[in-house]
Amino acid sequence: MNKALRNPLVFTLFVLPALFLFMMFFIYPIFSSLYYSFTSWNGVSDTVKFSGLTNFKKALGDERFWISAKNNGLFICFSVFIQVPLIVLFSLLIANVKKLKGLYKTAVFMPSIMSTAVIGILWGFIYEPNIGLLNKLIGLVGIEPIYWLSDERFAMISILITNAWQWTGFYIVMVLAAILSIPGELNEAAMIDGATGVQRATRITLPLIMPIITVVIMLSIAGAMKAADIVIVMTKGGPAGSTEVMATYMIKYAITNFKYGYGNAIAVLIFIFTLLVTALYQLLIARRNERIEY
Amino acid sequence: MKKSITMILSLIFVTSALLTACGGNDKVATNATNKEKDTPEVKTEEKVSEEPFEMTIRHTQIGADKQKRFAILEDVVKTVQQDVPGLTFKLDGVDSDVNRKEKLRGEMAAGSTPEIFELFGSPDSKIYAKENKLLDLTPILAELGIQDKFSNLDPFTYEGKVYGLPIGGSGEGFFYNKGYYESKGWKAPTTFAELDQQLADIKADGKVPMTGASKAGWVPLMLANHLWSRYAGPDVTNKFATGEAKWSDANVVQGFAKYKEWVDKGYFKKGELGFEYAEYTTQFTSGEAILMYDGTWKSSVFKAGQSGEGLIGKVGFFNLPAVDGGVGDQTALMRDVNNGYGFSASVANDPRQLAAVTSFIKNFYNEKMQLRGLVEDGVLPSMKIDQAVLNENITDGLMSEIVAVLNASQSSFPAFDSLVQADVTTEISNIQIQSLIGGQTTPEKMGAAIQKVQEEANAAVE
Repeated sequence: MNKALRNPLVFTLFVLPALFLFMMFFIYPIFSSLYYSFTSWNGVSDTVKFSGLTNFKKALGDERFWISAKNNGLFICFSVFIQVPLIVLFSLLIANVKKLKGLYKTAVFMPSIMSTAVIGILWGFIYEPNIGLLNKLIGLVGIEPIYWLSDERFAMISILITNAWQWTGFYIVMVLAAILSIPGELNEAAMIDGATGVQRATRITLPLIMPIITVVIMLSIAGAMKAADIVIVMTKGGPAGSTEVMATYMIKYAITNFKYGYGNAIAVLIFIFTLLVTALYQLLIARRNERIEY
Repeated sequence: MKKSITMILSLIFVTSALLTACGGNDKVATNATNKEKDTPEVKTEEKVSEEPFEMTIRHTQIGADKQKRFAILEDVVKTVQQDVPGLTFKLDGVDSDVNRKEKLRGEMAAGSTPEIFELFGSPDSKIYAKENKLLDLTPILAELGIQDKFSNLDPFTYEGKVYGLPIGGSGEGFFYNKGYYESKGWKAPTTFAELDQQLADIKADGKVPMTGASKAGWVPLMLANHLWSRYAGPDVTNKFATGEAKWSDANVVQGFAKYKEWVDKGYFKKGELGFEYAEYTTQFTSGEAILMYDGTWKSSVFKAGQSGEGLIGKVGFFNLPAVDGGVGDQTALMRDVNNGYGFSASVANDPRQLAAVTSFIKNFYNEKMQLRGLVEDGVLPSMKIDQAVLNENITDGLMSEIVAVLNASQSSFPAFDSLVQADVTTEISNIQIQSLIGGQTTPEKMGAAIQKVQEEANAAVE
């Protein structure tokens, strides 16, 4: 077996199937998308007309595209500054419970295995202006009903909360695994030295789980850049385009209008923006927290 | 050594299996076809005509609401299969939006459409026809002698040739709760002032005057479209793409302003921007709202076993009354014949498939099936049918009222989305109408914003 793998020919043969699939499902679509982004193809025609940078100029000069990009930015900010701290907090709490840890883990993980369509409907009921849970609750303290999904001021935050609810549990399980893998002696030693629970959490646990937190942030950023399904299910990008994100903009303004060239240009822009944001994050923050040595 | 050879052989086997699985069988099919072609002509014809063959029909008759429409299709399928020896139809049912916006488009690009498929008239059929993806039906219609039997084939006509046939038609107007109207001693309004007064009275009575569900922009645009066509003329929308009229023209803006006035007066259900189209119907069937502006297709809801069963015999229908100072025919009704069947251009290469398509058209597009659609499914005929025959077949009170409204209108006009460019449709339905309802824009600003997009779209065409 070892001899066989040392033979370059055999080695290549082993790599070929994976390479073939990788080329077919990843490399080819990327390059074909890049190619079509420079054309004014309608998605049907056999002839494809080269249009240079027209599609990119159009997208970058469209106010609606920038509103969508800004909303993707809001997704990122909400994930990084609100969702991630909550993930860490809940992970620390669950890690320290003495009983029913499995139940808590299952309960928080549950939303992430539900389909976005189901979550959209579920939260649609919660946000329902007349009989929804949220308005019933705020009604108890005398607040007038809020039209969560139909009012421009509240629609985006409503989506962000729902999206966070869906994915928080998934990340909690990841962070929890990291917390539980920290050697027990470290905490025991700290306890003997008189460290309080908060001190142990902030001085020992948090620094040791930083690598996994950076991964969580990274995944949140990537997820935020490609968000689309939750927006489609909850508001369809409305009211009046106020909750549009780049992916829904691409569907609405390009794909459904037979502008596949333009659609591909938007896809390329999403790819470039995602690459830039994640690269910046990697270079400036994530690299510093890559490895922990005990 | 033996192990290495076994490993290499296994790997080659797995790789070959994978590549074979990824490959298509087009070549095999081509070879088979070539073989058939090589055999003597007469023998081939006889042999081919007896051989079983399969064709696919892509339809969107899925779900409980479309059971009756599906039953009609199934009956046609059975008849055509008996007509054409060896033919078996494979029915491929998908959601209509998925078919229109995803599946069919991908298949058109790849050249792998089903032989028969549901097709949206304008602009879709024209785009596909331009790229030679659709079968020209003009000779088939001539052969069957039904070329003049359809009320309107414009959405499916490109450069004088017909590329699709509408399943049925629809008209848009107000459904109203007859029980409520009778309790107030009212009748369907005949003037705009009367309608306005009724709306105000319903509001004062604590009821919702009109259903509202504007999460999808096309829903409120049905009524808005009718309003601007009343104020600026039924043919005004036709003129936007040619530059003869502008969205910012005073009469068009007056239509937006009227809609806005009704929104501001609270005549639609509050929070409508967050409600789906399904909610639109529920507001009416539950008795919460008294009027519902919708297409005649909605009449199927008020049949036994459907969600509006409780309102059977208690729903009426009227056209939007004439507005003061309105331009053009004030009885004009918004009517559409955009949903139909199209056929793959590849059918022309196979005489047996062509015969099957001819038989399908013959058996689907005739008076009997059109009447079945009307009576069982509440879909207006897309073909011209004698009034006496229609009257004879309509037993449903609501449908009688709908037909009376259609007959009373002297002209019709299609919905805006089949007349203006896709960019304009996106702007008005995704942004402007919702901004108007939400109070983020004014009728004047709305007109100007749509006109800007219209001019860009017009310039792009030039």
